[in-house]
Amino acid sequence: MTYIDKPPVPNVVKFDEPMATERNKLEVMLNTGSDIYQGACKKRGSTLKDEYRHVSGTAYMDPRDMTRLGVKNWDTVLVKTDWGEVVVYAAHSRDAPHEGQIFICKGPWANVIVSPETYCCCDPTYKGIEATIEKINKEPLLMADLMAAVYMKYDKDAEKTTNRLTEKRINVGITKPEE
Amino acid sequence: MAYEEPIRDYDELVENCTCAFCGCNCDDLTYLIKDGHVVGVRHACRLGASKVMEDMDQRLLVPMIRNDEGNLVETDWDTALDKAAELIAGAVRPVFYGWSETSIETMKHGIKLGELVGAVLDNQATICHGPSLQAVQNAGYPVNTLGEVKNRADMIVYSGNNAMNSHPRHMGRYSAFPRGYFRKRGRFDRTIVTMDPRYTDTAKMSDIWVGFEQNGDYEFYNAMRAVLRGKKLKKDVISGIPKEDIEELVEAMKTTQYGSLFFGLGLTHTLSKQRSIDIAINLIQDLNKFTKWNLVPMRGHFNVNGFNIFMAFEMGFPYGVDFSRGYPRYMNGETNTIDLLTREEPDVFMVIAADPGAHFPGGANRHLTNIPVIQIDIHWGPSTELADIVLPGSFIGVEAAGTSYRMDGVPIYMKKAIDKPETCRDDEWIVRELHERVQKIKGEKIASK
Ligand code: SF4
Repeated sequence: MTYIDKPPVPNVVKFDEPMATERNKLEVMLNTGSDIYQGACKKRGSTLKDEYRHVSGTAYMDPRDMTRLGVKNWDTVLVKTDWGEVVVYAAHSRDAPHEGQIFICKGPWANVIVSPETYCCCDPTYKGIEATIEKINKEPLLMADLMAAVYMKYDKDAEKTTNRLTEKRINVGITKPEE
Repeated sequence: MAYEEPIRDYDELVENCTCAFCGCNCDDLTYLIKDGHVVGVRHACRLGASKVMEDMDQRLLVPMIRNDEGNLVETDWDTALDKAAELIAGAVRPVFYGWSETSIETMKHGIKLGELVGAVLDNQATICHGPSLQAVQNAGYPVNTLGEVKNRADMIVYSGNNAMNSHPRHMGRYSAFPRGYFRKRGRFDRTIVTMDPRYTDTAKMSDIWVGFEQNGDYEFYNAMRAVLRGKKLKKDVISGIPKEDIEELVEAMKTTQYGSLFFGLGLTHTLSKQRSIDIAINLIQDLNKFTKWNLVPMRGHFNVNGFNIFMAFEMGFPYGVDFSRGYPRYMNGETNTIDLLTREEPDVFMVIAADPGAHFPGGANRHLTNIPVIQIDIHWGPSTELADIVLPGSFIGVEAAGTSYRMDGVPIYMKKAIDKPETCRDDEWIVRELHERVQKIKGEKIASK
């Protein structure tokens, strides 16, 4: 029995409206938070598994935005902000319509791109971050690989990076295997 | 989801257990136990059930220490505790972060240890409801209990939170659906309003959805306050909501008998931070000139409120308490974990029952790669990938008993249902043991001087 299945998102419908021209890159507002699938998977402790990558490393998008970008459910996208960039899946949001906004559940994937700036109010800015999203031919990393690739704590060869806010960790994702 | 057969194969039932997941602390769960494991849970929601029926594949069972190659290797309790105590005793600016998923009894020993070594004690409020606590200090805390909401409330407002996803039984057990003393028909006697930029699952179940724009909460609440005080709005549309709708909503809120506002991270994580909560609290105060209104923050973890109440009671400050000068200090933006980490101050970081690897921004986590990290937890999670010493704890509410505080501040005793795995220890025992060992090291240092 798997207690959690993928969020029940239908396949993308094509909208026949004039705005829906395909683009390579969209400027969006990024929100992070939690949903029930992510919460259940995380607290059950299944963070090393593929399931966690799907529930947490997924950008939920408005179907119109998906059409514009030319992505289907579970295609992969690259999300970039001032703080970094990460490869995640794209899926149809259950809360649509919210054009121009994407939602990524909190987790190691979202952490790469959210802002640590607290403005002296103790709370980092997890919501309302400007981001761009584009289609990419890479796969998101599993949790353990992502933690190793981003933080490189036990990677002796890695140059010791410091923790300056401006420094970016580039492109966390793996090239898709040939089919 | 496909139909699943009910579980009939179990040895015993344990009734009236408390769920250790979200701030609702549902205390009516029944665990189905077979061979010392929970095989089924009755009454819990999807979140609670998934946590109680944990994933044993990833359970931390034995203490581990990182070796020179960077791999975690198993060791015995004495070695691991001694190593951890040595690190803590030698630290200049240790930070003990977490505590929200453990018991008040554990925190008691945590405070002792923190005072002894001059640490910063902080909990998850620092990344979720911290701004709410600041706002409470600014503007007051008109709180009610969930029982009052159940028996009295005829209007319930969810603002900036998605209860159906984060607190799934909140509507069913406390707010929208239950029949109460004065609300005999349950859901039919209540009006549910959801204020959220997105059309969330909670909004889908409400009578009114107010979809104000992103970051529009501060302006929207101000407009409501203005209308409430009899002012005319000059703009036609405020934060994406037509002014007629605002007037209608305010009128409805004024004429209820008992209202309750539940607010979540949608208000605390946006740019206006604690100011949007200030204004929500002021709105509630204004509404009380006409009728009875209260508010409750929707706390995430089952004991995140417990740490804040316990700390405020013992030390005078709710979170981010710094003992480095020998007495408790609290300064927003200075003694909070995220700010400390981005400034690269801590030299030892202890995570207890929390997961910074999964929840801190990368810019803050990056400092964890420079310093030793001690983790006390029950599952192998993102933080384990950054941890140097791992101490396996036990599961409060299932394998260990303890006290926790519900989101409205009601303390609940969570009982024990099964035995913990043999090689694990109680969180309380681990922290007490650390305290004793650090005390011994410190004592030796003083003696040798
Ligand atoms: S609503 Fe919260 S406390 Fe209640 S069963 Fe669900 S997760 Fe547990």
